[in-house]
Amino acid sequence: MTSKQKNTIGPVVIVVLGVVFIAIAFALIIFQPNAQSLNFNAGSGAWSQFLVAFVTGITTGGLSCLAVQGGLLASSLASQIEQDYVTGSARHKKGQAARSNSAYPILLFLLSKLAAYTLLGALLGWLGSYLTLSPMTRAMLMILVGVFMIGNALRIFNAHPIFRYFSIEPPKFITRYIRRTAKGTDTFTPLFLGALTVFIPCGVTQAMMATALGTGSATMGAALMFAFVLGTSPVFFIIAYLTTELGARLEKFFMRFVAVVLLILGFVTLDGGLNVLGSPLSFQNLTRSLIPSNSTPAPVAESTQPAADAGSIVLNVNNDGYFPRTLNAPADTAVTLNLVTNQTYSCARDFVIPALNYYELLPDSGTVQVGIPAQKAGSQLFFTCSMGMYTGVIVFQ
Amino acid sequence: MIKKTFKIPDMTCSACAMKLESLEDVLDGVKEINASYHRLEMTIEYDDSRLTEEQIIAAVRKKGYTAIGA
Repeated sequence: MTSKQKNTIGPVVIVVLGVVFIAIAFALIIFQPNAQSLNFNAGSGAWSQFLVAFVTGITTGGLSCLAVQGGLLASSLASQIEQDYVTGSARHKKGQAARSNSAYPILLFLLSKLAAYTLLGALLGWLGSYLTLSPMTRAMLMILVGVFMIGNALRIFNAHPIFRYFSIEPPKFITRYIRRTAKGTDTFTPLFLGALTVFIPCGVTQAMMATALGTGSATMGAALMFAFVLGTSPVFFIIAYLTTELGARLEKFFMRFVAVVLLILGFVTLDGGLNVLGSPLSFQNLTRSLIPSNSTPAPVAESTQPAADAGSIVLNVNNDGYFPRTLNAPADTAVTLNLVTNQTYSCARDFVIPALNYYELLPDSGTVQVGIPAQKAGSQLFFTCSMGMYTGVIVFQ
Repeated sequence: MIKKTFKIPDMTCSACAMKLESLEDVLDGVKEINASYHRLEMTIEYDDSRLTEEQIIAAVRKKGYTAIGA
């Protein structure tokens, strides 16, 4: 059963298709500075989210997904190859036979998967919008996502049997149905199987799905999942093409790397959630006193800069965060916080003061005033963007 | 028909459970296989006149795992 196949798709096709995927990826990155043309709520903060999703996909997601869905794809391919070239009761499909004409079904599989996950992202984002995510809800969701990511990383490290429960096992009837479908031999099979992968997401994908839910927008959720699955595609494509055996080896080789990245992303997400909660225990708030703060406000547009007086403080809301990060204000008297934006498009515009339950999407240029009631001497009021990325504090003296 | 549970200590994710369950389609005399990554075990219901424990262990090994009879 070692019939040699002449009409194989060579490495050139793999490279070309890989390049196409990577080109799309680069396009996403290159167009990032012009993000204001895409008027998402969080501005270019949305793009940084997509970029993180894409990088997560290309680094950890592809391998992690491959571990879960690779076998499914391989069996689908085997059926296709068997249909094309091997008739009869051939059972052992290896080596040369497995290389025949497999690029096309993999591509179909991945395209279908991309479409299915984009739709799923839209659905999750839409559901998230019905949850009317207040900063507090978003914070809780971020903390849950962070814990889920960390739990999955510890599962991969095999730290304790309890962490195995962070891996969601799909119901038996679904896995059986998928397995049976994988035996189909028509061209529709890879498309169908690609779509069915939404039912067997890997740990990283599940975490990304939770993030899509947290966006509270169908467009954002769809774009986030699109960026993530697009990121997973080149790795998935190349490794899937180079047979399942190689995938299994790579899986063993890279799983620890996946766990480390997942652990880091988990802690970053958890920390973001704590920031949005206004917790002094977040990494940024704990280390603020150790890192010297820039106490000089950055220059802003003169026309929008309000004059600071005794009962008024000014915070510049820039694309790269808040300046100064530590503001001093008089204690025991009400103060007015002037939030000044000047062509600010990042998520810093989504301004939150958790302790006051204050949340406002600031205009991209202008000044918004926030009345802050009298605070005791020595107290601190943390502020952050709605994603917990940029933070700062007002110290009352 | 008998039902037997094997410990599979080297499962690493829920995909492993799926792989093991696919033995349903390979082994003669199997009625049902349920594998769980959470419990690291596989329960198989089979006709012991057509299939032996050794054959099951060998099939599991072929999939890349170790089956230990409970």
